[in-house]
Amino acid sequence: MAGTVIGEGLTIEGDISGDEEIVIHGNLRGRLTTTDAVTVGGTAVVGADITGASLSVAGQVTGDVTASERVDIQAGGKLVGDIKAARFTIADGASFKGNVDMEI
Amino acid sequence: MGETSVIGAGTVVSGHIRGQGSLEILGRVEGDVSVTGNVVIGPAGRVRGNVSGAQLSISGQVQGDLRGTLAVLLEAGARVAGDISAPRVGIAPGALARGHVQTDGESASAAARSPAPVARPLSPPLRVAPAPLAPVAPARVEAKPPAPVAPARVEAKPPPPVAPARVEAKPPAQKLEPKAPLPAPTPARADVKAPLPPPKLPPPNRELRKPDPPRVVAAAPPQAEFTPVRPIKPEPRRPPPPVVPVLSKGTKAKKKKSHD
Amino acid sequence: MVLAFRPTPMPRHPLELSVVGTGTRITGRISGSGALRIEGTVKGDVNLQGDAEVAEGASVEGNLTGESLDIAGSLVGDARASGAIAVRGSARVHGELRGAEVSIEAGARVSVRLDTEFELDFGTAQKRR
Repeated sequence: MAGTVIGEGLTIEGDISGDEEIVIHGNLRGRLTTTDAVTVGGTAVVGADITGASLSVAGQVTGDVTASERVDIQAGGKLVGDIKAARFTIADGASFKGNVDMEI
Repeated sequence: MGETSVIGAGTVVSGHIRGQGSLEILGRVEGDVSVTGNVVIGPAGRVRGNVSGAQLSISGQVQGDLRGTLAVLLEAGARVAGDISAPRVGIAPGALARGHVQTDGESASAAARSPAPVARPLSPPLRVAPAPLAPVAPARVEAKPPAPVAPARVEAKPPPPVAPARVEAKPPAQKLEPKAPLPAPTPARADVKAPLPPPKLPPPNRELRKPDPPRVVAAAPPQAEFTPVRPIKPEPRRPPPPVVPVLSKGTKAKKKKSHD
Repeated sequence: MVLAFRPTPMPRHPLELSVVGTGTRITGRISGSGALRIEGTVKGDVNLQGDAEVAEGASVEGNLTGESLDIAGSLVGDARASGAIAVRGSARVHGELRGAEVSIEAGARVSVRLDTEFELDFGTAQKRR
């Protein structure tokens, strides 16, 4: 079970920071930073820069994302912003607009 | 601890109740209740006045402040309109309370308003002691009113015995300690920095407003014993008398090298 | 009549129950529908159309509004509930509490103002404070 779960009906305006897994099904406008995995659910609308160990996007994210491991944009997911990650995948049916920096 | 007194269901007491022992109120009291033991107010009990004791158990209705040195417990069905202050406060589901509830130390509002009758004449100077929780500046402002009375006196004697200007000093609280049960928690509170931010609640404001000039002037008489008739002015320090070297005729002045 | 107290059951549907985990800190406003359990730290107002719980060890600095509130951690701010507010023995609360019913477990450390609406029933010439 994830450490933090933001349900579909919830809206957060501000910064989220932590050291555990974060799952967002609701809305976030601000900043998201964690040392663990981040999951943006299908119903989520996120306007924030995201930093985490890994990021999986099934909803909408507008902001730059940085992951120490990997970033995956699922089918139906949408990311507008830059990706900085060692690995990434953009699934068939996903949307992406931005730059990618695979730290070498 | 003394016996338990009972005010029966059909009895009405108009007047203050005070004393040792415990008290069970099943009837009606129009007045303050102050006992050293426990107080139980039954479901039909009605008290219009302040209640103070060791442990208060309320199932009836109270219009007044509740202060327990041990605990104040409101059972289901209780209704209390007034401030509650005790180290432990319990309000059961089904009890109704309206007012300020304080568990950490002594409630400032309770100390200010609830009359522990014995301590009433002393409570005014007591309120000076809690002021250190607020910024010290207001305390110094309050010390100014007596300034016309004895300006230099207040300034020149750093540790005056009753010390409105030096609110941090423990002596005032200790001096009052033997006289009333109230002061006991107060010095502790003066030491402890309020863990929670104060500004939202009325009590801190009341603390700041309460120590008004008349009470500070009341503290002046004890000082009168210590001061002479004329106000003490700190003697200005005179420089030591110059040492004049005796020079023999013909001595040349030495020029000191000055470094720029 | 004694009202039996039971903690409001938190909805189990994952999309209706939000959790701010122990290691998470949120600085900002939280609003919306659904239940919320706070185990970490929140600095900002929380405005919910649902039940809110501040777990033991959690800390909320800001106003907390919900249908019912269960406070076992630290709350510095005002608490408003359309239903019941329960302050547990491990809680530390500083602020105003306004609810249809407010209960406080002995052991809680509080400096609060209760704003419950009710009338005293003294029988004769009652004075409402």
